[in-house]
Amino acid sequence: MSRNLINIKVVFNVIGNLIIITGLLMASAVPFSLYYGEGDLYPLILSSLTTLFFGLIIKLRTQKHKNDEVKKREGYLIVAFGWLAMTIFGSLPYVFSNAIPDYTNAFFETISGLTTTGASILNDIESVPKGILFWRSMTQWIGGMGIIVLTIAILPLLGVGGMELFASEAPGPTKDKIHPRIKETAKRLWLIYFSLTAIQCVLLLFGGMDFYDAINHSLTTMSTGGFSTKQASIGHFDSAYIQYVIILFMFLAGTNFTLLYFGFKLNFKKFWINDEFKWYVAAIIVLCFVILPTVYFVYGRADGVEASFRAVLFQVTSIITTTGYSTSDFTLWGSFVTFLFFLLLFTGASAGSTSGGMKLVRIVLLMKNGFLEFKRRLHPNAVVPVHLNGVGVSQKIIYNLLAFVFFYLFLFVTGAIVVTFFGVDFTEALSAVATSISNVGPGIGSIGPSSSFSHLPDGVKWVLSFLMLVGRLELFTITILFTPYFWRLK
Amino acid sequence: MRIIIAGAGEVGFHLAKMMSSESQNIYIIDENEDRVNYVQAHLDVFCVLGDAKDLEVLKENKISSCDLLIAATSSEETNLLVCITGKKLGAKRTIARINNYEGIGTSMRVFYESLGVDNIISPVELASKEINRLITQSAFTNDYEFEGGKLSVFGIPICDKSPLKDKSVVETAYLNPNRSFKPLFLLRGEKTILIQASTVLKENDIVYFISTPESIPLITKICGQQFYDIKNIMILGASRIGVLTAEILEKDYNVILIEEDRNKATRIADQLKHTLVINADGTDVSVLEEENIAEMDAFIAVTGDSETNIISSLIAKSHGVKKTIAGVENIDYINLSHNIGIDTLINKKIIAANNIFTYLRKGVSAIANFHGVDGEIIEFNVRANTKILSKPLRELKLPETVGIAGVVRNNKGFIPFGGFQLEENDKVIVFSNKESISELENLFN
Repeated sequence: MSRNLINIKVVFNVIGNLIIITGLLMASAVPFSLYYGEGDLYPLILSSLTTLFFGLIIKLRTQKHKNDEVKKREGYLIVAFGWLAMTIFGSLPYVFSNAIPDYTNAFFETISGLTTTGASILNDIESVPKGILFWRSMTQWIGGMGIIVLTIAILPLLGVGGMELFASEAPGPTKDKIHPRIKETAKRLWLIYFSLTAIQCVLLLFGGMDFYDAINHSLTTMSTGGFSTKQASIGHFDSAYIQYVIILFMFLAGTNFTLLYFGFKLNFKKFWINDEFKWYVAAIIVLCFVILPTVYFVYGRADGVEASFRAVLFQVTSIITTTGYSTSDFTLWGSFVTFLFFLLLFTGASAGSTSGGMKLVRIVLLMKNGFLEFKRRLHPNAVVPVHLNGVGVSQKIIYNLLAFVFFYLFLFVTGAIVVTFFGVDFTEALSAVATSISNVGPGIGSIGPSSSFSHLPDGVKWVLSFLMLVGRLELFTITILFTPYFWRLK
Repeated sequence: MRIIIAGAGEVGFHLAKMMSSESQNIYIIDENEDRVNYVQAHLDVFCVLGDAKDLEVLKENKISSCDLLIAATSSEETNLLVCITGKKLGAKRTIARINNYEGIGTSMRVFYESLGVDNIISPVELASKEINRLITQSAFTNDYEFEGGKLSVFGIPICDKSPLKDKSVVETAYLNPNRSFKPLFLLRGEKTILIQASTVLKENDIVYFISTPESIPLITKICGQQFYDIKNIMILGASRIGVLTAEILEKDYNVILIEEDRNKATRIADQLKHTLVINADGTDVSVLEEENIAEMDAFIAVTGDSETNIISSLIAKSHGVKKTIAGVENIDYINLSHNIGIDTLINKKIIAANNIFTYLRKGVSAIANFHGVDGEIIEFNVRANTKILSKPLRELKLPETVGIAGVVRNNKGFIPFGGFQLEENDKVIVFSNKESISELENLFN
């Protein structure tokens, strides 16, 4: 490795900033822990101070380099190691408070939170102190919009470098700017994110939830994370109003934030010319009407049509947006429905939302491109571009897309091979890998919506943790570090 | 400020780069997808893929609330049209770049202004004027005059014989008894260093001074340079810059212009009455020798090919020509100039971009950007009731990267030192790096 290829000092400086922000956000759990007094106050304060201490040391030791240029390679390193550092420091509250004594589990829980997966190893959530649980929800909220986007919004990171960073953390193949300057774009995104979270919290309070539950569930809904403070997830709240509010906000969280920005500015025209949004709405409606008869006639007659519809709509929205809340266990609805949900694990919602998965826009483009192949066969010399939102998509984007989808499936298959090697059951292995890489949360079988991941072997937990991070950062950001191209000049 | 730039070519890109480094909101429109992707990947600006002539595209990007519209595509018809439509749609100020310098006299400018094109920039014209200035101040690598020559800022290399060499600025203060000039900053390799009292000057540093006109010969002397008269000039290439430069210079100097293309040479010979036009290949050393290159005082290479320009300037230098100027297309070559022994490299696109850049400044009447220098020299007007009036200079708590260089008061140039107190209507010349410019603007507004 050439010494000039990578400026490691500036990488550390930015990561120092990220750790400091993590430490400050950790302190936000302290009021809850003070109020409920369940013995997690000192562990939280200690974790927060430790995090701040290390963050400051790393930052101050590299302060001279803070204005250095962040180039492509530094950008990838910052994002990859920044997330890793956040996970390590983010797991401190679990370890110090002994809420999760085993380190593998603590790491898994933290990364599952930060990547907004929502797969949990806790078997009795309600016994965990409230301050720690708030931090658990907070990790998802941080990870949802992304800590780097937050850093760009509040710290004076330089323009172009900031953009590289932004692109490697923001989800989806297109990085729409809603303002000429990246900093302003990041500010607006976080403002939308924050406001929607606040609005949801107020609406949940109206529905009779207490403040603590309302704020926790708002944090994990808008981030499409899916951690709940209740063992029975949203099923705990037997209120149609609360469930519809959460459905609405899961739907919004799965919408492209650029569109939401235009929505805030009352420019609704943008919604109707957006292909991905139309497919997103259509997919939810169609799936509901395909699944509803099975659920109503076979499994849920006693609850009535509305209750069945609500259960199906909730589950479909929860899985397609990769939130992973549950009101009922969809794996009990028969193999047809279970398989549909399994497929949904891959899709995800819109690009530029907080959801995970491959993103609908990629699926839409892939299908359009696939069908146009017939036309191309009949007219070998025809120029047949794929259209999205009424505009032709360049070949380069299609190639990039094909590589992405191939790589997604490749990681899925490799992951499944490794997990089955540890002796995990076939369906569980497939669903665990899919749910991790797409950042959904629950899988099928013994890791279904009503159970936890705690019984999986430690090796599998590490593999899944890795896949979650890879999936959250859109595959390439992490895996590029493992390629020789990254470390060599050519 | 909301700025729309039409055309993501080199001028557009360079402008966007300068402006985005100081947090302006920039929209850049281009039809070429590759250009747009390139800009997108390199600058923090909003890129629009589309035709700037298209009304819908302009409206979509809220032209009505745009403060500055710069049309810098390669087509001057497009640029004029974009400015005219943009102005009608509400752009506050419009600037068009045009390539054709002929026929843009004052009357045409007024006519275009009535149509909505506030300013017309011709890179060729600006480059020719710059070359002319460099020739008249032959010892300098770069220079810029403020307020019609009351004060000038110029760069000059430190020679072996100079008494300033290996001394700090304090030690050599005796050379400046009247305090009529001041060293501002120096360029060492690619680094720009702000000069403080303790800064030690080294050989080959290019030191930028601000000075009143009377002291210029003194500075030239103490830097170990000689003021030499220029009589004979050779220009290589009858490009538009070459022809216009010859047209300006032939009034005062003996000019020889070499052009390879016969038809072009014939046409130019008709047009330039006092210039000797030679039809030959200028890269051929024997041709240059035949035309007595060794007798030339200045050599200006402005063919369309950067490499030819650089190589032929080196040949001229090796034949003892004192002043060499080469035009380059590639912006990245600019920083090389002194390393390779050519006095000045010029790029008309940078010159144009720098010129357009002056329109961006609030309360600024002039601005100078020197090639390779990381910073700007800006002239501010001191208005009533601004922060800068309250205290003498040394108590003003200016940012470290900012230096007050000169003051023009009642049409007379002053070089201010610590105790100087600014007054209303003074024109202040300030050196600053890019990061501190917004802070400066606050002080003056």
